Amino acid sequence: MSSHVLQEQASAEKTWEPRIVAYCCNWCSYAGADLAGTSRIQYPTNARIIRVNCTGRISPEFILAALDLGADGVLVSGCHPGDCHYTSGNLKLRARWALMEKAIEQAGVDPRRVRLQWASASEAQIFADGVRTLIDQVKKLGPIAREWR
Amino acid sequence: MTGTEEPRIGVFVCHCGHNIAGTVDVAKVAQTAAGLPNVVFATDEMFMCSDNGQQLIREKIKEHRLNRVVVASCSPRMHEPTFRRVCEEAGLNRYLFEQVNLREHVSWCHMREPEAATAKAIDLVRMSVARAARLETLPVKTVQVTPRTLVVGGGIAGITASLDIADRGFEVVLVERQPRLGGNLINWTHLFPTDETGAEVLEPLINRVRNHDKIKIFTDAEVVAFDGYIGNFQATVRETKTGRESHHDVGAVIVTTGFQSFKPHGYYGYKITPDILTLAELQEMPRSKELRRPSDGQLVKKLAFIGCVGSREPGVKGHEHCSRHCCSAVAKAAADLRARTEEVVILYQDVRTYGKGHEEFHRLARSRRVIYSKFPERDKPKVTLEDGRITIRWHDVLADEDLILQPDMLVLASAMVPPDTADEVAKLFSLTRSSDGFFNPEHIKLAPLTTHTAGIMIAGAAQAAKNAHEAAIDASGAAAKAVGLMARGEVEIESTVAHVNPDLCSSCHTCVTACPYHAISMDTSRTPEVALVTEAKCHGCGTCAAGCPSGAIMMRHSTTDQILAMVEAYLCPPPAAQEVRAQ
Repeated sequence: MSSHVLQEQASAEKTWEPRIVAYCCNWCSYAGADLAGTSRIQYPTNARIIRVNCTGRISPEFILAALDLGADGVLVSGCHPGDCHYTSGNLKLRARWALMEKAIEQAGVDPRRVRLQWASASEAQIFADGVRTLIDQVKKLGPIAREWR
Repeated sequence: MTGTEEPRIGVFVCHCGHNIAGTVDVAKVAQTAAGLPNVVFATDEMFMCSDNGQQLIREKIKEHRLNRVVVASCSPRMHEPTFRRVCEEAGLNRYLFEQVNLREHVSWCHMREPEAATAKAIDLVRMSVARAARLETLPVKTVQVTPRTLVVGGGIAGITASLDIADRGFEVVLVERQPRLGGNLINWTHLFPTDETGAEVLEPLINRVRNHDKIKIFTDAEVVAFDGYIGNFQATVRETKTGRESHHDVGAVIVTTGFQSFKPHGYYGYKITPDILTLAELQEMPRSKELRRPSDGQLVKKLAFIGCVGSREPGVKGHEHCSRHCCSAVAKAAADLRARTEEVVILYQDVRTYGKGHEEFHRLARSRRVIYSKFPERDKPKVTLEDGRITIRWHDVLADEDLILQPDMLVLASAMVPPDTADEVAKLFSLTRSSDGFFNPEHIKLAPLTTHTAGIMIAGAAQAAKNAHEAAIDASGAAAKAVGLMARGEVEIESTVAHVNPDLCSSCHTCVTACPYHAISMDTSRTPEVALVTEAKCHGCGTCAAGCPSGAIMMRHSTTDQILAMVEAYLCPPPAAQEVRAQ
């Protein structure tokens, strides 16, 4: 590789910004993200929120597909355990999560690229901090293309 | 329009005055949107939710024969109902509308990064356009409402709710676990503010309930089975003594299962002598001109109270909340009993006499020389028996002194906690509970009487610690909700529910166990049996769909295809969109 190409690669990595898919449940975390906006809490722009009714709706497929299509990180944010709008959907998601993390790891992807967090409708700061935490983690790991093979 | 023809999408980008346009380049977002697949019209406008904005949507639907509408504005939690209505007014099914959140999720939280915010806005619009293309028309369904309400719990809230409903001409089934109506209140002998007994206050109401031809009462009974959905519930009531069961069809339910007074074992020497008792136990002592102590019947000369017993304890599960009634009740009891004793001392952590007329009791107690002494939050009073005498040692915060008192009787103002049966009740009616164990309302501010299960209301101390006055207000509110439902006679139910494709179902029962609402059963008329969704019971959470190993369950309006289309549109934008972005 010529030094020119290497230089270009290096500069591309410098300007690289992680792409984050964020699945939020409608009742807690999506509302928490709304409150973050209403409260003018500033956080990085990298996450794209997809609204689902409940974190229980999120099958491992959604997370794996996002990583497969090139997301550098995936955030799942829902109601606190015991506080699910649908009684127990978040507990079902939590049960799937451990297994899914293993699957990601076995596929050669660093499990630090996915983050599960609980943020209620009133916890705007916790939501925003969670987004920032994942982005910081993913920035240390670099673009997903390095891992996913 | 059926939603099956070639998508013709209109995208409307809202400035929201300066709220969005001040950060996001809305014109660029609209321009980019215009180049996206299936988009036949895109524009930006000052206020999409205004009359002008709504009119614009209706006009453009007609002009461009739009069959999908995307509005990029504020949170759908705010204006989705507005824009759905606008679509319906223009003849478009409400489920063919999609909203992008450019305000709460973009402009307001990325105010210092206009370029990155604009890029994010473009991505979000592209994602929603991709989803919109896959949206389907769904029917708007209604179900009939059985004009009868089940009231669970016959305390002040249950009695009030029953009377309110019955007086409006609807039938009530009132179920009380105890042998008589009246709940906690009927046992109390000194209610504030009027000093009547609970029985004096409640008996006239109970008589009205008993004689009301619209109210059917079951005492010494409980609801043992409950099924159904809004407007169409079935409850089975079992009478404890006879074991007799009866079935009732009801359209609405009000849960008024109330509270129990916390028995503070392990706190301040409770029960080491009968002379240390709770405020509720003091309230249940027979009315008398004299105050005599339970142990030996001697007159009480020195009386002490301790506040916040089992309340306001951060980190102690079920005891973190303020029980709200105790400060006022203690002030009232102390003011009354001061005349019958030589000295009354109230040890408190804080005093919160917040209700109407309650501060007056606090003032009255002080004017009658009831002594208030504040103890530190982290250093609670110590209560022991010394030579058979109750001995309290504490640090008075305001005097900064260590004090000792040997009262003849000590009253502990103990917490209101949920009854032991709360867990069963929660399971029976699919209610959720807050960290203090009381039932959660649908929304703490905007919907305090309804729950996450449509058609089921909560009122009184079942919802949180509160006094009788507040419980009665709740009860009337919940009754109005139930009556509103029954008076309309029918109710709209969401079409965003689960649907099983019987050809793909492998009969594994995963969804049956995953569903929190027992909305999925097995259709045994087929061989092999397959899962079947009772749509009216489905709340649309999608837990079944995510768990289904065969991909047999489709969540209407939240299909896997719709969700993954958004992911793909974000991460792998179509070439046309990339070109526009590069310009």
